[in-house]
Amino acid sequence: MFDCADVEMRELLPELAAGTLDDATRARVQRHVATCAECASELETLHLVRSAYAVAPTVNVQRIVAALPQPAPLAKHARVGHGVTRWIDWRVAAALTMISVGGLSLALVHRQSGEPAPRDSVAAVPTVDSQRVQPAERAVAGVSPSGAHDTTRPANPPGRVTAAARPKAQLVFAGGMEDMDDASIKALLGALDELDHAPVAPSEEPDPTPVLPVIGTSQP
Amino acid sequence: MTRMAQDHEPDDDSTDLELIARWNAGDERAATSLVARHAPALARFAVSLGQRTDVDEVVQDTFVRAFGSLHSFRADSSLRTWLFTIERRLILDRRRAARRRRDDASVDDADAATEFDALDEIVAEEAESRVRKAVDQLSRLQKEVFLLRVNEGLSYKEIAEIVGSTEGAARVHYHNAMRAVKESLYV
Repeated sequence: MFDCADVEMRELLPELAAGTLDDATRARVQRHVATCAECASELETLHLVRSAYAVAPTVNVQRIVAALPQPAPLAKHARVGHGVTRWIDWRVAAALTMISVGGLSLALVHRQSGEPAPRDSVAAVPTVDSQRVQPAERAVAGVSPSGAHDTTRPANPPGRVTAAARPKAQLVFAGGMEDMDDASIKALLGALDELDHAPVAPSEEPDPTPVLPVIGTSQP
Repeated sequence: MTRMAQDHEPDDDSTDLELIARWNAGDERAATSLVARHAPALARFAVSLGQRTDVDEVVQDTFVRAFGSLHSFRADSSLRTWLFTIERRLILDRRRAARRRRDDASVDDADAATEFDALDEIVAEEAESRVRKAVDQLSRLQKEVFLLRVNEGLSYKEIAEIVGSTEGAARVHYHNAMRAVKESLYV
């Protein structure tokens, strides 16, 4: 008793016997079986097994169906869908509230505390006096925007540039968002992004801002 | 290679998934189609597992359990494979319960040869009776794999899912079973 060496054909024999092959594959396997004694013998065995187990007790379909649990009513699905929608609505409302409260709080904090905004961000805000927020190197060194020495403005001693020494930004947030045009909102959002990235150093701690050289001072 | 559907109800060409969706939507006729489509195969499988009595009850319990958790049915396997898996567990549970009640190992590989006595009354032909004897001498797992492959034309992957094995192990079980059956019949 030998097995056919064509593994693919042999593996398809049960499906040929069960009638689950498509037409093209069935024809291909049948052609092989016609020329292969081993596969023909195995197919005969398969048919014998199938016929031996073909007789099965009949089942009463209606009795089984009557015993089944009831299908989920449509209303239940509808309630589920409504619940999901309500949950999403709640999340959207919460997110909008958080954004509104957070943005307003941030603006109020900046307005009331007088905390200067970092120089880079201030330059991007339209409401800021551009003459006062020129590059901090110039301000710290007492150099006017025009290049002349500005003796009216106190220059910090050489060393650190602290937050207190930075020019104050006039980050004004009067009224609501609806009062601002698109450009203003965009600029404000840019400024807020910059605030997130700007280093904030307590005055008593070393400021991470690099030491800037004093340019052209008349001090000895 | 495309496998064709079996035992489909002639007047309903809907797929299993479509029928499940209809049943979930409240269409009880979809349940009739699903039961009529799969009940014969489940009855055959129950018999092939050695279920001599209460086959109708086993098939009914299978459908009741399946429809009770139809929401957990994953479409990555066929409904029939899933039903076979449920039925197999049910039959094994019933055997364990019966064994506990009788306090003996009533149904096992060792006494499998006694299982076909009642079925012999149904299958009169001597050749088929010899086949039954040959198949019933297989181990339980070999028999399950062999008959799922031969009678239902299931793939090794589907069989592995039903019996809780691997595809490769199912292939080995099938070929060992085939060899044993042929030796029993022809040697």
